[in-house]
Amino acid sequence: MSLIDLVVEEVVKIPMVSQDKPDVLRELVQTLKDAGQIDDFDAVLKAVQEREDKLSTGLENGIAVPHGKTAAVSSLKLAIGIAPQGIDFDAIDRNPSKLFFLLVAPPNQSGPHVEALAEIAKLGQSKAFCKALVNAEGAQEVVDLLKGD
Amino acid sequence: MSTPKKILVYVDGTEQSITAAQYAICLASIYHADLTALYVINTRAMEDLLKARIFLKDEQLEYEHDMEADAERYLNYVNELAVKKGVSINTKSSRGSVHQEITSVVKDEDIDLLVIGELSRIRSRRDEFYDEAERAMRTVPCSVLVVKDEDKVWAMYESLV
Repeated sequence: MSLIDLVVEEVVKIPMVSQDKPDVLRELVQTLKDAGQIDDFDAVLKAVQEREDKLSTGLENGIAVPHGKTAAVSSLKLAIGIAPQGIDFDAIDRNPSKLFFLLVAPPNQSGPHVEALAEIAKLGQSKAFCKALVNAEGAQEVVDLLKGD
Repeated sequence: MSTPKKILVYVDGTEQSITAAQYAICLASIYHADLTALYVINTRAMEDLLKARIFLKDEQLEYEHDMEADAERYLNYVNELAVKKGVSINTKSSRGSVHQEITSVVKDEDIDLLVIGELSRIRSRRDEFYDEAERAMRTVPCSVLVVKDEDKVWAMYESLV
């Protein structure tokens, strides 16, 4: 399975309503819950928070990649959040984060998990593309951009 | 007519790759071919994640350890599937870039058929989204079989005596 297979409208939250980092994680996990992708909200949130507590996944160019492993999911799950106004996510460049890719995977699928994270990392290298995502007008446009339509 | 003598099946722990393994076992049985199952520990991607600062160093080590455990788990499972049908299988794991390792094994072992699981049904024009198995399909010098229809393959495997 490729990351592109996980990109559907239901897992895209745009615009995000969160004001701070804890809320961002909750909002992204809630997006997965609302999309019927997860059952155990608390377990998934805990997994992502534990990783985030070690070091922020806020990168340069306004991207953040919160991620974690949990047995509460049986396959890779992706949520995408877009906050055009920017949210303080303790990013390494100290700038607000606007584009969030939350990825969770079961512990026994480390290969696909790593591959999916690597795909997100490559995405983040294109400033123009990230800007296009941040300026998208809705979930469908985000999906279309990612699928290259 | 020439039939495959040496088959390589790429296993990455996905359901699609297990289906591919079942199909490869069927082919090896029918054609009396040598069968090898390969799992690649994607250290290349983990290095990229470390450079991108998505991974911490201890996280990289943790995931590498997980992948080693996954390699053992899935290769053992594929071995069991083969033994159950009286098919001899060689299992191996390697480390590096997935498509490069697959190509390397194909060349080194003189493989004449690579079997892989179903690829993503969506082909994005974004260069970032590529399936490592798909990349291997494009680069290996041998023929490639993409296995689909899990239910049909399961039935085929079950009917193998």
